[in-house]
Amino acid sequence: MLYFDHSATTPLRSEVKELMKSINENNYGNPSSIYSLGQKARIIIETSRKQVADAIGASSDQILFTSSGTESNNQVLWALIFSIKKHVITSSIEHPAVIKVLKNLVTIGISHTLLPVNNSGIVDMSMLVPALKKDTGLISIMQANNEVGSIQPIKETVKIAREYNIPVHTDAVQCLGKIPINTSYLGVDFLSLSAHKFYGPKGVGVLFVKDKKKIRSLMIGGGQESGLRAGTENVAGIAGLGLAAKLATDNLSSHTKHLKQLETIFREKLIKISPDVVFHVKQQNCLPGLVSVAFPGRRSDILMARLDRCGLAVSSGSACSVGNVKPSVVLNAMNVDDSLNRATLRISFGVGNTRDDIELLVSGLKKVLKS
Amino acid sequence: MDETIIIGMSGGVDSAVAAAELIDKGYTVEGIFMKNWDESDSEFCTATEDHRDALQVCDILRIPLRTIDLSDEYWKKVFELFLDECRSGRTPNPDILCNKEIKFCAFLNHALELGAVSIATGHYAHIDKTNGLFQLYRGADPGKDQSYFLCTLNQDQLSKSIFPIGNWKKAKVRKKAYELGFNNHDKKDSTGICFIGERNYQQFLKRFLPIQSGQIITDEGKIIGEHDGLMYYTYGQRQGLGIGGGYGKKNAPWYVTDKDIDQNTLIVGQGHDHPELYHRFLTTSQAHWISGSEPIKEVLTAKIRYRTKDAICRLIEKNKNSLIVEFNEPQFAITPGQSIVFYDKEICLGGAVIETRTHSIN
Repeated sequence: MLYFDHSATTPLRSEVKELMKSINENNYGNPSSIYSLGQKARIIIETSRKQVADAIGASSDQILFTSSGTESNNQVLWALIFSIKKHVITSSIEHPAVIKVLKNLVTIGISHTLLPVNNSGIVDMSMLVPALKKDTGLISIMQANNEVGSIQPIKETVKIAREYNIPVHTDAVQCLGKIPINTSYLGVDFLSLSAHKFYGPKGVGVLFVKDKKKIRSLMIGGGQESGLRAGTENVAGIAGLGLAAKLATDNLSSHTKHLKQLETIFREKLIKISPDVVFHVKQQNCLPGLVSVAFPGRRSDILMARLDRCGLAVSSGSACSVGNVKPSVVLNAMNVDDSLNRATLRISFGVGNTRDDIELLVSGLKKVLKS
Repeated sequence: MDETIIIGMSGGVDSAVAAAELIDKGYTVEGIFMKNWDESDSEFCTATEDHRDALQVCDILRIPLRTIDLSDEYWKKVFELFLDECRSGRTPNPDILCNKEIKFCAFLNHALELGAVSIATGHYAHIDKTNGLFQLYRGADPGKDQSYFLCTLNQDQLSKSIFPIGNWKKAKVRKKAYELGFNNHDKKDSTGICFIGERNYQQFLKRFLPIQSGQIITDEGKIIGEHDGLMYYTYGQRQGLGIGGGYGKKNAPWYVTDKDIDQNTLIVGQGHDHPELYHRFLTTSQAHWISGSEPIKEVLTAKIRYRTKDAICRLIEKNKNSLIVEFNEPQFAITPGQSIVFYDKEICLGGAVIETRTHSIN
């Protein structure tokens, strides 16, 4: 099986795998215990916290460990229950881990406004100020979209939000290891990450919080994570996340270069075998290595299944909607017509992919498109 | 890849063993799980558990399992029609419609697009080609035969369908599933309407069709109770009427004998042998013949609902879609909306939807 769905998840790096294995074997202590075994576990967590902080230009006390990017998003959004200002501005291309939460919150009096995007999948910033209300208490816009890879103007968003004293959250789950993420440069108040998107383990996430006084705990219990996320820590997972974050950012420029190269080769070869393909987002506005492309007259679920038979894993739309032939909401928001929408595949390369893999992918596509 | 068969995996034991049987016969097999109902509706829908079971089976068999979401099609082409029929006081059979519109239409087309040569399902029925004609036979297990539900299939659909366990006994299927280590080997048979499962039919319907109370009257015109809405009741129904059996002359239970749609009244009669519960004639719409043409034989047998024995009948009028059927013996609770399915011995000939029933014909 050749894997081209790194936006869905990534394989563990071998260094991360080794570290987690050793921690699981040797460091089973509870980080809250005060004897030395517990202390060791505590040090592992704090080492990871520092690694994450360094990776995103934050300080250690701004990093909370959660179970997932989804949980991190939920923690920020559910905190609005306690806020006086109960209106949220978000984009029309957010992941369900934001948009479905907001839809649920409507029933308890927290409203939201969806900002439109242009046909390149980028939020229309001219609509931000008009969308502001007296009780706008949060702006939540993703750093980059998971289906098409379009990168959003977060710094610009923060600049406007500051004028109105509104905190900004960004779901940056797709970004670490692909583009630079610097929380002090961006100026965001909250930022979500997920380890399994950058060659770390599944089941661990990060919530960056600029000021801990501005967030509430979603999990109530023991006092872990400064009382902001109860539950005994997933020590090995957190360690794996920290190392993965470090490796992802230490090697950022070489990874980015590699991914861009693979993407360029793929785009060129694809146009040769299938000149009528439609790329939804231009390469320069997009996460490196992510190609969202429509095959006119085809259906994505059929293409995907046929590629699967050839041992090639790609995605249609976002991974969370597997088996769903319904058109993508994101492409819909970008004004992509319905037939192209349903004909779209998402191909996302990873650091482990090679030029040979691209050759095999293209010849697989050629075969599938012929039948 | 050229001989790929795509099997509809429901999560039940029948499709699981059917898949195993195809693999034994040397076919390349792939599974598809159909999502026909919004699974977040966990109160009534068991899709999540079913998918888990299907996945375990495919893991053992080492075949891929993909999911297809047909819930939109199901809603539009099956469920809305089902509700319309209920609203007009009839008792539809959505499983027959599901086979016609979903399994042997939307699913079949999807499988063909994926490059399959045929589809397979775990139905208990048997297809045989004789003299260039595909015939549908009853399944060999008399307690499980499902040809009734397949009465709307046509030659094209039958030519592209395989029922690998159609001639098996249920016990053999379960035994095989146990031997193969399938978790669903002892899973309860799904009975009744697929999207309701074992749940309370009335309770389910009330979510979609609001209560419309009316009177329950006896065939002699006496008011003896109140009903919640005619759509919640079916002809010949005994339980759930809210009137005790002790009432009345014979101390016998009450049965729904008729529905007066205009007056919104439910008409009941006492005793299982009440004459208003039995009719010798019925008329139909939507007649369909599996062979493509109506039967030459005049004397056939027919089932007027799934769980009933065949009864001898004659087609006394055949006007394309609408038939008039005469039974040798009066039949209990002939129900508008249900399907009548015709047989010539073991061969299922086709079916039609019951419109009206009468004691005699002029």
